[in-house]
Amino acid sequence: MSLDIDSHIRHSSRHIGRSVPRREDRGPLTGKGRYVADIRLPGMLEVVFVRSVEAHARIVSIDTAEAEALDGVVAVYTGADLAEVETFPDYIPYIGPVTQRPLAEGRVRYVGAAYAAVVAVDRYIAEDAATLIAAGTVYEPLPTVADLDQALAPDAPKLFDDWDSNCSFDVAPHKPEVDEAFEHADHTFTETYVSQRQTGLPMETRGVVAEVAADGTLTVWSSTQSPHMVRTTVALMLGMPEPQVRVIHPTVGGGFGTKTHTYPEDIVVPWIARRLGTPARWIEDRMENLVASVHAREQRHTVEVAYDDDGTVRGVRCASTLDMGSGEIFMPGTAPVFVTNACITGGYDFPNMEARTTGVVTNKTPAGAYRGFGIPEGALVMERIIDRVARLTGTDRVALRRRMLLRPEQMPYVMHGGGRLDSGSHAESFERALELTAPALQRARSRYADDPDVRVGVGYCNYVEPTSPSYHLTTGHWGGGDAATVRVDPDGSVRVAAGVSELGQGNVTAAAQLAADMLGVSPDDVTVVLGDTERAPYGLGSWGSRGAMMLTGSVLLATERLVDKARKIAAHMLEAAEADVVLTDGAFHVAGSSQPSVGWAEVGTAAWVRTVDLPEGMEAGLETSGFYHPDNLEHQLDDTGKINAAASWSNGTHIGVVSVRVSTGELRIEDYIIVHDCGTVINPALVEGQVHGGVAQGIAGAMYEHFQYDPDTANPRFASFMDYLVPTCAEVPHMEVDHFESPAPEQPLGVKGCGEGGTVGPPAVVAGAVSDALSEWDVDLTECPVTPVAVRAAIRAAAGSGAGAGS
Amino acid sequence: MTIEAVSEVEVQLTINGRNHRHRVPSRLLLSDYIRDTVGLTGTHLGCEHGYCGACTVIVDGDAVRSCLMLAVQADGAEVRTVEDLAPTGPDSLSPMQQAFHDNHALQCGFCTAGFLMTLESVDPDRWREPERMRELLSGNLCRCTGYQNIVAAVSEAWSEYDGNGGSNDG
Repeated sequence: MSLDIDSHIRHSSRHIGRSVPRREDRGPLTGKGRYVADIRLPGMLEVVFVRSVEAHARIVSIDTAEAEALDGVVAVYTGADLAEVETFPDYIPYIGPVTQRPLAEGRVRYVGAAYAAVVAVDRYIAEDAATLIAAGTVYEPLPTVADLDQALAPDAPKLFDDWDSNCSFDVAPHKPEVDEAFEHADHTFTETYVSQRQTGLPMETRGVVAEVAADGTLTVWSSTQSPHMVRTTVALMLGMPEPQVRVIHPTVGGGFGTKTHTYPEDIVVPWIARRLGTPARWIEDRMENLVASVHAREQRHTVEVAYDDDGTVRGVRCASTLDMGSGEIFMPGTAPVFVTNACITGGYDFPNMEARTTGVVTNKTPAGAYRGFGIPEGALVMERIIDRVARLTGTDRVALRRRMLLRPEQMPYVMHGGGRLDSGSHAESFERALELTAPALQRARSRYADDPDVRVGVGYCNYVEPTSPSYHLTTGHWGGGDAATVRVDPDGSVRVAAGVSELGQGNVTAAAQLAADMLGVSPDDVTVVLGDTERAPYGLGSWGSRGAMMLTGSVLLATERLVDKARKIAAHMLEAAEADVVLTDGAFHVAGSSQPSVGWAEVGTAAWVRTVDLPEGMEAGLETSGFYHPDNLEHQLDDTGKINAAASWSNGTHIGVVSVRVSTGELRIEDYIIVHDCGTVINPALVEGQVHGGVAQGIAGAMYEHFQYDPDTANPRFASFMDYLVPTCAEVPHMEVDHFESPAPEQPLGVKGCGEGGTVGPPAVVAGAVSDALSEWDVDLTECPVTPVAVRAAIRAAAGSGAGAGS
Repeated sequence: MTIEAVSEVEVQLTINGRNHRHRVPSRLLLSDYIRDTVGLTGTHLGCEHGYCGACTVIVDGDAVRSCLMLAVQADGAEVRTVEDLAPTGPDSLSPMQQAFHDNHALQCGFCTAGFLMTLESVDPDRWREPERMRELLSGNLCRCTGYQNIVAAVSEAWSEYDGNGGSNDG
């Protein structure tokens, strides 16, 4: 597949494909970054939310008198005060209806649900007041459900009285071809795989600052991934015209999906600022962040597998169940489990998958988005199935994967759920990763050759990463495109504004690289505006590995239109035919002629200032926009229930070499190898950074992070970094990264996206490698995280069943 | 339940070589004093539990988690923050800041000041060896980089520091 990328490049020393240094760095490096918590406005008041300490209860009464009497407390609000505020929208018809008020009213369904807000002159006083309100709250506790089994029990207490059960949705397609596969298979087995509850945990917590101007316009600074979506929702819920609401995300300290949602605080803080006519600010603390920002990944997969003696996996039935927490979050956190099922077959040619998708509410923090968005959970299931079949049939694990992997000649390939892989290097990535693994495995084996207590194993994962997905399936409302506006000013400088946002990925730098190449200027001459609804056009922000693709698509559309107009102006100035005028390195000139050229400053000046120099009849100005919607991105299921819900599909292979100390269960990733393919690379350093960070988060999920609740009370066991184990520099291993570039044939520059793939492999890789290392005990891990305790338990269980000599 | 009145105390200290004198609540954290009272917001708060290291500053030569120290405890101290690292000049960066930039060792940048202040407080010769370096850096959490490029940046900055071209674990 060849793309006409070069026709869009008008710079002789092309910037796309080079590790152009980031312009985002200087602020944080020098202490001049401006995060939401750094914003100070005259007269600004501090907001603190009072949150439920009960997992499920009726709120009988809230005594706010003592808090209100405290010096420095300006106001206390409870749900009843916000009666005029609209309820959060409920756009998805097929899930259980949830009425989410900005502050919980009458009933709370998880520890951390905000039911009151205190406004005070400083945060210390606001927290004093919040403590008094918490102490003055009378609850009538209700029975809780802390996990899927409790929630699905026939006599389970219900979270929502008007539902039939705690089941929010249950989509169970039937595939006759899978029945047939089971009828003809030599053997079957059943198993249950479990991914544990985690959270995205950006280093910067959430925060909201709001200010109302004298003319009534509202400005909201929110640490969000999606400022336009916050604006639309704030305007809707506060009953304001959208142009009177401006949402800005200042410097954002990471999001990882958690900041894609529009939270109650995004509504309540602006409401307070309007009510009091005073700027108001709320900064989430880490304890709040751990219970009031969305969780993710808690899924259970019950599978039936049909296979043959020769290792052929004939068919799989997978029932995937998501623990949604209380479900009280906008947008709802229902989509990841659908993504799990859509992507579960990874880089393998495996059509005979029948996947049931169920969501269940429990008395826990609402589940939502976290980088990876369901993909890692499915990869764990598929890779464990392959390893099990290999072991049961005596087939080599690598050979079996080779047999199953997709080959280039199969592209485009339609996956079992309708995902259309337009291109990719699925088999080649695996081969390349195997080459890189061989010396690593050798190193590890020789390192422990003299230590009889240590076993070494290898784990594999071949995944696909859907990028720039439909947001219609996730939100029931928004679509999947983004806009960009490009302007050339009289001095020839370029301004690019786009709906994609920046929270660490380097999208400002990438946008400058793109515009520089497309307009033939230096990136230094490009000013980039992201994350401000007043200055940048509508876009859905950054999530779903969409930044690179949306930026290229939208900036390209806008710059091509801009160049078309500029060429007309230049031709007029050069007294040449438009068709003869070319743009190279910022100068318009007649092709093949030694005639002087005109540059962007002359064209920009003619367009805006010396309009007398414009061709007759031409409208002045040099600013164009483009709204990019990927052609092949679908938002509705077809008649057969299939959908290609992602604009493109990146792919990759992860292989890990892991050592396990048998006596203690201690495990260590000796080497971690990543070969990935995200199509055309705009900036290799940025891509590699995304891979590193994603893998580190994947390892966190594979080995450490596990948000646990007390089964009897549904109270969280964790509320700090002391117990929710975020890996440090000492835990995250060195990673070896290699790339393929299979350009996306349906994207103008072949860009796919790379934000999430790193998270996908580690759970499958670590579970696979540890099981391999402990194969003499027949250990076959089915859950994450793989901790020393879990390893020892697996060895003991295997030893107890007589499978080997566990110590 | 009652909330007792909070006493006020006078605090006098230097931050980045400049004298500051304020009357503050005795319970005011040093981190909030630096950020809110003085207005130096380059020091970030990631957890306020003393764990993540984002709020690390240097107090009388030692790296300190400013969220675990009261402002009054810093009375008379010399405090340094991230704003003090770059030499004066519009584009200048310290060697370590430059190495972070060159090695793509920050993404969202929220944790960066803490890393830089931890590194500023130590003698490179004691922490140069790769395992030791990772141990040193393990006191600061980063959620974006997977630490690999941070290790690369520190290795580069410290190899230039002694001119030996030391090892690069990146």
